[in-house]
Amino acid sequence: MPGPQYHADPEAAVKSVALDGLSLIFHAPSGMTHIVAPPAPEILAALRLGPAEVGELIARLSAWYDFEGDAAADAIEARLAELESAGLVRRA
Amino acid sequence: MSGTDDDQSGGNAFVPTRRTVLVLGAVAASTVVTVRPALAQTTGSVLACEIPVPGPQAGGSYIGPDGSLVAPGTQGAAPPLARPLRGEEVKQLLQSGTTPAGVDPTSAQAYANYIRRLQAGMSGFTCYASLQMPR
Repeated sequence: MPGPQYHADPEAAVKSVALDGLSLIFHAPSGMTHIVAPPAPEILAALRLGPAEVGELIARLSAWYDFEGDAAADAIEARLAELESAGLVRRA
Repeated sequence: MSGTDDDQSGGNAFVPTRRTVLVLGAVAASTVVTVRPALAQTTGSVLACEIPVPGPQAGGSYIGPDGSLVAPGTQGAAPPLARPLRGEEVKQLLQSGTTPAGVDPTSAQAYANYIRRLQAGMSGFTCYASLQMPR
C-alpha cells in the first residue's frame, strides 16, 4: 500500500535565509518563522519538485546526496512529521 | 548538522551539491524550531477564536475541493458554512480530520484546505496562525 503523498508550499510562499549551518524559514501563508537544520531545507527543496511519498522523496534526495547512516526511511519520516507539525509540509 | 564549513553558502544555499553527505539525524532528534511571534502573546484563548468559511468578503461563495473560492452552486464544491468554526474545531479538523459538529464530512476536506490557504489580511487568518503556535 503506498504511503501518504507529502506536499510543500511553492518557493514563492516561503522566504529562506541561510545562516551558518541553519536556515531561517518564513512561511508566508501561516506568518510563522522556523529555524531548521539539515536535512529539513533539503527535504523541502525536494518536495517542491512535486508531491511525493517517502520512497520517492528518498529517491530524489539520493540523486543529490549521499546519506549518512542506514535508517534513511525512518529518519526521513521523522523529519517529515516535524515539518508537518510545523505547517511546512502537509499530506495530500 | 554537518558541522562542515565547505558547503556553498550565500543566497541560494539550497541548491544541492552532488555527493554532499546529508546527515539525516537520529529518528528522535528534532530539526525544526518554530519562533513564537509577538502575536502569540496577545491571544488569550486561541482555541476560542473563530474562522468564518468563507470570510465575509467572499460571502456566498462555495469552496472547491482544493480550498479555492468558486461560484455558488458549482458542482463538487462545498457550500458556505452556516457558522464560523471555533479554533478548537479547526485544530481537530486540521490535525486529525475530525469533522466539526453540523459539518458535512464529505466537505470537511474542502473547508480544511480553505483554512490552510488563509493569508494575512483575510478573516480568520490570525486565528489560524495562532493555532499553529507551539505551546
